[in-house]
Amino acid sequence: MSKMREGSTNLPARATRRSRAALLALFVFAGTPLARGTTLARMTLGQLASAAQVIARVRCTGTTTRREYGSIWTFTDFAVEESFKGAPGAQITIRLPGGRDGHIEETVEGAPRFAAGDKAIIFLERTSAGDWSISAWAEGTFRIARDSQTGEQTITQESSAMATFDPATRTFRSDGIARMPLAEFRARLDAAMRDGGR
Amino acid sequence: MMPARALDRRRRVARAAMFTAALVAWQCAGPAAGAYSFNYQVADMRQPADISGGTACPQPTRQNTALPGGIPIQWSTSLGTTPATILTANQTPAGRLAEISATVTAAYGIWTGVSGTSLAPAVFAPLGTTAAQNACNPTDGVDTICFDQADSAFTTGVLSFTRVTTSDAIGQQAGPGTPPAGFIGQIVDADILLLPGNSSVTFATSAALAANPSAYDLESVLSHEIGHTLGLGHSGVWRAMMSPFGPSPGTYLGTRPTAGQPDAPLADDDRAGLRALYPSAADTAHAGIISGRVLPANPLILPTGTTGVFGAQVVAVDTASGAVAAAAIGGWSCADPGPAQFDGSYTIEKLAVGSPENYEIYAEPLDGPLEPSDVPGATTALCRNAITDPGWPTQFACTSPPVAAEFSTTIRSGP
Repeated sequence: MSKMREGSTNLPARATRRSRAALLALFVFAGTPLARGTTLARMTLGQLASAAQVIARVRCTGTTTRREYGSIWTFTDFAVEESFKGAPGAQITIRLPGGRDGHIEETVEGAPRFAAGDKAIIFLERTSAGDWSISAWAEGTFRIARDSQTGEQTITQESSAMATFDPATRTFRSDGIARMPLAEFRARLDAAMRDGGR
Repeated sequence: MMPARALDRRRRVARAAMFTAALVAWQCAGPAAGAYSFNYQVADMRQPADISGGTACPQPTRQNTALPGGIPIQWSTSLGTTPATILTANQTPAGRLAEISATVTAAYGIWTGVSGTSLAPAVFAPLGTTAAQNACNPTDGVDTICFDQADSAFTTGVLSFTRVTTSDAIGQQAGPGTPPAGFIGQIVDADILLLPGNSSVTFATSAALAANPSAYDLESVLSHEIGHTLGLGHSGVWRAMMSPFGPSPGTYLGTRPTAGQPDAPLADDDRAGLRALYPSAADTAHAGIISGRVLPANPLILPTGTTGVFGAQVVAVDTASGAVAAAAIGGWSCADPGPAQFDGSYTIEKLAVGSPENYEIYAEPLDGPLEPSDVPGATTALCRNAITDPGWPTQFACTSPPVAAEFSTTIRSGP
């Protein structure tokens, strides 16, 4: 299976015109559950890197949920495995809207959710409450996975699952990073930080 | 159910999709539905039946259209002024409020203008206003739009968001004095917050947009967020109102609503999603259903507790045009009292009927470009158990199986 890249329009060569449309729609549809909603501005990797005060490779160690000022928040604890920008320390907790409190559940689309053991590179900034959250939510979340066939570690931007299919032009538009080798992503990130947000 | 018929080009389809499927394919009629999505709520089955509803089947979250007095909606007239969050053509205080109010009304009208749904304008109470700055309170039971409420959820790149509050217990209230939930999955509060006080992010009414090309179109943003308050998730269809990314500054998504076509900005995908969430018994024009099961050639490969392929993606393609008609992730069904059964079932509903047309059905394993890690929402909202919820009754417990990423199947016609 060919690997998708940022902004890629490539598809498996085996796909015919019609099956390509189906594949794309499948890709699109299946991504929608990830995007628990919101209106996001499209941001480049450079813009994300510029906005973030901390960029770190982390592993989720647990989550808690509680109400603050009437709203439900999910607080996710991470062990910091590597820092690319800022000095987050060995542990960091981030705040994201939504979660369950008793019989009430608040859902905010586009806010990522993590489970213990999840690994990611996240772009963080201070919130108005003084703690941390993720820049542009799904856009600032890059999941780390291991390719089942090659064993290679890859990076997939959470918002890449929001990629869209245009039924009018029958074209696919992917605006995220998907299944990019970790080393390649780090090189891009280094370049983005050097470029200062362009 | 529509009468079944063999697909014309099933062999070619199977080759193209690179797998074979024991897939029931139904003839159906009409144009595209699409990739709309819902959120689901599983009732708290630790409660008595009069509270849980007596079923552990996942319920789509949606508004109560039978709420006495209508669904309460309002917007906060507290507006950011330094810098201005909302740009209007009329600069007088009264004119400014009237222009914003008209935009809010138009955004609601886009959704209530969809034919074939029970979401008539009358299901909403008259649009109210409040002068309170922090009026978006998820415990007041009033769906509120706020333009000047700072919230620590806002980070760079987040232009607006909607907090949708739902209940997993009948009778549960969003807060004191609010109407109790009448069904599982009822949306008991939904608030829309637009980013305030950011000099680089402004929103403009339709009358002011042309003069402020760097502003985001307020009507587009509100229409999208109101879709969330109605229970719609994000759509993968480009140009759909529920596509997760808003239009660029200075532009409007689609066509402005008109008196003759109030739902003009919506895509068919948006309309199909709304019809599925708020069906109307009088709607006979969108009664098409495609359903079936995805079964492996060798059932021994199935994970324990499953009788069909879980996580296969099923797409209906219009045979004549080649356009994608609809898509769904197959894998589960549920009959009361639940829980969800992982039998490979899929259903695509609310397809228009009247002009018979053939569809080709594909199923595709999650072996790329889509992978199981890309679809956690398809696996996490369907089940609850003693691990997720201590004390959960065994007979209503289930655990989502791993998504089948590798399988081999054949396509055959429906009965």
